[in-house]
Amino acid sequence: MKLLLIGFGFIGRSLVKAIRSKIDLIKQIDQDFKVIGVSDRKGYQYDEEGLNLERLSGIDRLQDYSKAYYEGGSSIELIERCTANLMVEVTPTNIRDGEPGLTHIKEALSRGINVVTSNKGPLVVAFKELSSLAERNSCEFKYEGTVAGAVPIFSLVNECLQGDRIFRISGILNGTTNYILSRMFFEGTSFEIALKEAQERGITEKDPAYDVDGIDAACKVVILANAIMKRDARFGDVKITGIQGITSEAVSSAKRSNYAIKLIGMIEKDLEVAPKLIPVNHPLCIHGTLNAIHLEADLAGELTLIGHGAGKETVSALLNDVLSILRKKVIA
Amino acid sequence: MMFDLTLALADRPGQLLKALEPIAKNGGNIISIIHEREKPTGGYVPVSLVVDFPTDRSFKKALNDLENVDVKVIKSEEVVEKTSVTLILIGKIDVRKILEAKIKDMRITDFEVSAPTSKEACIKMDIEAPTGLINKILEEMKRIADEEKVLLIPSI
Repeated sequence: MKLLLIGFGFIGRSLVKAIRSKIDLIKQIDQDFKVIGVSDRKGYQYDEEGLNLERLSGIDRLQDYSKAYYEGGSSIELIERCTANLMVEVTPTNIRDGEPGLTHIKEALSRGINVVTSNKGPLVVAFKELSSLAERNSCEFKYEGTVAGAVPIFSLVNECLQGDRIFRISGILNGTTNYILSRMFFEGTSFEIALKEAQERGITEKDPAYDVDGIDAACKVVILANAIMKRDARFGDVKITGIQGITSEAVSSAKRSNYAIKLIGMIEKDLEVAPKLIPVNHPLCIHGTLNAIHLEADLAGELTLIGHGAGKETVSALLNDVLSILRKKVIA
Repeated sequence: MMFDLTLALADRPGQLLKALEPIAKNGGNIISIIHEREKPTGGYVPVSLVVDFPTDRSFKKALNDLENVDVKVIKSEEVVEKTSVTLILIGKIDVRKILEAKIKDMRITDFEVSAPTSKEACIKMDIEAPTGLINKILEEMKRIADEEKVLLIPSI
């Protein structure tokens, strides 16, 4: 298959490195696999014969790959001109209108190109539309990396819980708030100091409100509700309370009673993101930047998945989605 | 529906079987039974049972049938399953608002206030209520918290 990568930020570059290091494994499934195009905000590199992965993994700026950089060229232009049959979309998340990722994904699916993404924006804004578009065009549309990074929640449910009805999902869906609350729990620091530490470590979004006000977690609640519980949920359906009002006194008081305060996303009858008291021996009581998802199913009972929710580990989810599509489309 | 029953059986052979027949006949499922043979009082032996009846009507019918076969029922009450929830309220709140709210069926089993005069005042309370009513009670607590502009954090 011919792969197109839209977005050459941290995740895009990490994916290129992962593809390069796992190329033998990929070639075992599809010996004709190649990356034929990569775009960033300013232009794109394109070679129908396949880009050099070694050179591509050694650069930070896409224009440094070769002089043949199509400066000013758009991602849409690249999608239109090339013969790719698999696109990975990893442009920055925009939850207001899903753009530019939404247009990229729509364009690819309507051309029959399979899509893998870790971009939450398009799924929050238009999950149903994109799923239907993929179905109409007989395309695969995979998005494991959008929720809890490397945690394989959708693969688990789709592959291993096919006969189950999931009736409740709860989870720690934002690593930054978990880091802040963990610092407050273990060190007794105030919210403000813990937030400053998180910013210094570079684990907050540019606007920390996106994390601490529960917006990021609410996006993931919407995706989980739509993808796993087959709802038609929108961002506005989620009742959101952030963690800004949590004091060190409240964290200590909870701790004295063997609870930790965690920002929990909950999908049941209603959709909610709010701080909750979690018993210290509950499987959701995990600390640091980790994410956790707790499923309650009619046959399997309770299941908890724990893992890294953001950063370079997200590449694991992207690569697994790519490999799943290769197995399905190439081997079939 | 679960019921807690204490029967007084005459201290002679065959009495327990006589008492169990009306219970079984009315669909009662015996969850536990304690036959305190070593504690006879005035010629009677106390037997404590927890029985699950299909309806309130079948329970009452069983009581009636027990009386008809001369089995004395000393105690009979419904066992209500209760759930405990811990709550934390953050912000300046008038404690009386909660205590005087007198939410029906809610019992406060623990109450702790920290830094009551500051903006960071924190109340931790453990409440107990019938399981079927706990969500309604939490909604009521949330309404009070919203009215007082304080943050309510319940346990999951």
